[in-house]
Amino acid sequence: MNPVLPLAALGLVDAAFSGFRAYAGRDARIRKHRAVLRASLRGLAVGAVLLLAPALTAGAVLLLAEDTDRAYGVLADGGTGFLVPIGAYALAVGLSLAAYFALPYRASTLSMVVGLGPLTLARPLVVAGACAGALVAGGGWTSLLVGVVAGAAVLCVEPYVHRRWYAFPV
Amino acid sequence: MPHLEISDLITVTDPLSGARMPVRRGDVVRRLDEAGDPRAARIVAGLPAGPDDVLDPLAVDRLMIGVHTELQRLSEELRIGERLVHVLDPLFEAIREIAGRRGRFRLVDIGSGLGYLVRWLASTGALGPNVELIGVDLDAALVAEADRLARAEGLDCRFVHGNAFDLPEIATVYVSTGVLHHFRGPALAEFFEAQADSQALAFCHFDIAATRLAPVGAWMFHRARMRHPLGRHDGVVSARRAHSDETLLRAATVPGIRPLLYEPKGLSNPFCTTLRPVLGIRPYLEDPLRQALGRSSRRLVGAEHLTRGGPPRHDAASWSASGAASGAGR
Repeated sequence: MNPVLPLAALGLVDAAFSGFRAYAGRDARIRKHRAVLRASLRGLAVGAVLLLAPALTAGAVLLLAEDTDRAYGVLADGGTGFLVPIGAYALAVGLSLAAYFALPYRASTLSMVVGLGPLTLARPLVVAGACAGALVAGGGWTSLLVGVVAGAAVLCVEPYVHRRWYAFPV
Repeated sequence: MPHLEISDLITVTDPLSGARMPVRRGDVVRRLDEAGDPRAARIVAGLPAGPDDVLDPLAVDRLMIGVHTELQRLSEELRIGERLVHVLDPLFEAIREIAGRRGRFRLVDIGSGLGYLVRWLASTGALGPNVELIGVDLDAALVAEADRLARAEGLDCRFVHGNAFDLPEIATVYVSTGVLHHFRGPALAEFFEAQADSQALAFCHFDIAATRLAPVGAWMFHRARMRHPLGRHDGVVSARRAHSDETLLRAATVPGIRPLLYEPKGLSNPFCTTLRPVLGIRPYLEDPLRQALGRSSRRLVGAEHLTRGGPPRHDAASWSASGAASGAGR
């Protein structure tokens, strides 16, 4: 399986959520659906640009490789190893979000307290785990390099959007 | 060592005049150091002050508005509005039952801060059209910001800078969120007595449920959701200062009031109950309230529940007696 598309999709979804988080807590109005959407789109746009960095890194690795097919295979293995922890994390976030929106307020509090809150804090650890997964899956140092660049890119979206657009309360 | 919240120390208002008092940064830092909280002292030491070491009031106002805006995010995510309406809606239904359907009622939010609860209630119309919504706070900057936000969205509610018990209008129900833990010692009982002495029919004050998980959960959630170190610090301290069920029921035992706790410790899942209210209602409202709550009324308990549930510090009778004694002494 080629992990590029699911990884790109997860990276972009994460960027949209990062945009929301960069905005959340900066606007005390009650009705703010449009502002939430705008912040998510800003995160998505910034994420799309930043995620070019791992794509370019992977491209450079392939260009510089003596055996392109072998290098591609190694990167694909590493990408699959990278995807496993990220996918598990995304599944946990998805379930927590579904519980938050679908359940009554008491149970949604539970999904927030034991799910979404700690999961936000765990993002750097998940990225580190994904890099380790890339190594374990036989991706070698090239996959590790691409994974580190990708991890740095997704983790940078929220602080960038926050500083660029939401440094002060709306 | 006492747990001190930075926001309590850097904004001091004269409760009688409502005037802002100057606060010397060094005094606050010293108090926090003496309380064994060097991290909080460092946060305050980094706040801007004038040449006389008095904290810059404009900078403090900006900081408080920023922190309260972040704090509102937690209220939104924990669906505090729905949690409140779950109790307030049956309470107003009971009041309408007693007072007549056509009455005009007034909800007064004490220590409303940025007025999230009042503005959310106004925005959703959750309590119906015949409930006037007023937020009151001693912090002029927060009141001004709450008013600005309400006007920006055209919400039918208003905010008053001052003491909630000095309003010219009679409150039907007093509410608050996250205020009770700021009252320590006798001030807690005095807070409830002031409402019992008023013409209000009930009060309903939500505060952090004092569980062992509360400080851990508060740390986790504030760390994940709040950016300013002051907000993160005070959020955890709030959880540590939360009053126990016994303390709340004892303090709310005042003449003319039936004190009740909704979702007390033994009856609720601590992961799901972040905030829960202590209620005080005129005794004739208890039956209509229980009826309006339906099955949820089993979560509503008085002092007698604690007596049954384990070794109480004071039984219901002695609490009533102490309440009567304090009433006689006033």
